[in-house]
Amino acid sequence: MGKAVKIALAGEGGQGVQSVAMILTDAAAMEGKEILYIPNFGVEQRGGVSIAFVQIGDEKIGAPKFKTGDIVVALSDRAVRRVGMYVGPETVFIYDAGIKGVEDDIPQDAQRILAIPALETANQELHPRVFNVLIMGAVIGATHVVALEKAKEAIEKKLGYKFEQNPELREMNFKALERGYEMVTGTGVA
Amino acid sequence: MGEKPIKGEQKAFMTGNEAVAWAALAADAEIMYGYPITPQNEVMQYWTRLAPKYDKRFLQTEDELSAGFTTVGGVLAGRRAFTATAGPGNVLMQEPMSMAEAMRIPTVVVIQQRGGPSTATVIYSQQEVTLTCFGGNGEGLRIVYSTSSHQELFDYTIKAFNTAWKYRFPTFVLADGYQAKMRESLVLYDPQAKGIEMVPTESFVGKPGTPGEDRPPAHLRNTYNTEEELFDVLSKNIREFEENAPEITEYEEFNTDDADLLLIAHGIVFRSAAMAARELAGEGQKVGYFRPITLRPFPQEELRQAAAKAKQVMVVESAYGQLLKLVKENLYGMEVPIKTHLRPGVGITPEEIVADTKKILGEGE
Repeated sequence: MGKAVKIALAGEGGQGVQSVAMILTDAAAMEGKEILYIPNFGVEQRGGVSIAFVQIGDEKIGAPKFKTGDIVVALSDRAVRRVGMYVGPETVFIYDAGIKGVEDDIPQDAQRILAIPALETANQELHPRVFNVLIMGAVIGATHVVALEKAKEAIEKKLGYKFEQNPELREMNFKALERGYEMVTGTGVA
Repeated sequence: MGEKPIKGEQKAFMTGNEAVAWAALAADAEIMYGYPITPQNEVMQYWTRLAPKYDKRFLQTEDELSAGFTTVGGVLAGRRAFTATAGPGNVLMQEPMSMAEAMRIPTVVVIQQRGGPSTATVIYSQQEVTLTCFGGNGEGLRIVYSTSSHQELFDYTIKAFNTAWKYRFPTFVLADGYQAKMRESLVLYDPQAKGIEMVPTESFVGKPGTPGEDRPPAHLRNTYNTEEELFDVLSKNIREFEENAPEITEYEEFNTDDADLLLIAHGIVFRSAAMAARELAGEGQKVGYFRPITLRPFPQEELRQAAAKAKQVMVVESAYGQLLKLVKENLYGMEVPIKTHLRPGVGITPEEIVADTKKILGEGE
């Protein structure tokens, strides 16, 4: 890995954007990578667009925020409008295919634009609760910043206590991770 | 003494607030006083989580005025005590810190700057430079370290206790909301394992023995009857501050010989400036940087030497001219042109600095 990979993840408060960033960066830390993760935060306790700025590389990361992301992910209509400013000609822009009314807001200058059926897949094939893990899989598929197995270890570390009570949850989370990963790798982005 | 919180060295990935709490533990701080305010809340949160395990204490006060005064009280009682605050809390903290300044009380305060004035944002700024360096009705006889990474937050929080207790001036670790909330890697360590000895504390009040017989009386004052009395005390304090300044000041510089443009930045913005300077230097441009680590006392001689070799300088900060004020004061009498990149309350990316630098250097051609 040369330069650090810059990722901006945006969604509605409660969609689990920050949880994804936490698990993803934990996985990268386990691999001994250098990481800088900063959540945007405001005075509101909930609601509003939540963004996670994540940079993962081999060397110490410079500034906490960046102008243009390598991967920008938007999970709601408001998130699409909010993160357009972080998209440039080198950016892979990923958004959920189910988001309505954003046709005119999708950034035009991105290198690649991918609409993935994350929400639909989570709701119909898995469980709405693992939507964010599916997104994490998509981010890993687009960046390969961590190995899928390391991501599973990090999920285990974070949710292991829940898995002990209900082992099916483990299987569902791992499946979501893999489905998300395949959704992006299948498109030939990375 | 209980078990050591950190044995040897330990790689960690955590928030800056957490790093501060660990540093205070590692420095063998005995008590934190505090009142919650974003973005420093988690310093208290982590401290209160860790403290009981290592026989440390915490007192939540009714506001920052009393958090500051109880910190002063803790130090008077001989405790290695500290507090942390931000924004409007830092404003209230100035009254007790003036007292600490007046009485040479070695308090340690960690500041996580947020947007201002008033409540503004809970997020980030570099707008508490003037307040932290010169707040209060005094002369700013304080030591202010401006950190730029979690490693530095850890290193300088430990160092702040030693600087405060060695020189007996209130000492501040000045960071910001980004540093408070972001996660990055650092190495936690036991200071002793690195050969860092903690400067011993001693109580100002309640010393053993009979005053005047067994020991000189402890004569603690922040009130004086005559102008001359005050002037004598202040003169002594100012002299000691200035005499110790060369030993205390710290800075960092890069590519300062013959720079077409010298970037001047502190804290987290320094990281963006450093990235910009290195990128431009890599392209063959003569761009360097100067970073004051201590904002009080300011590395005046070192900046003047670097500026003397530069064609022009550019001050970059997330405030509207607070570092700039310090730079101008310290460059007084020099003719080097000063450009600015001032973004009050907003983060600054390396890309912005590169673009601005190229524009400035292009103008000269």
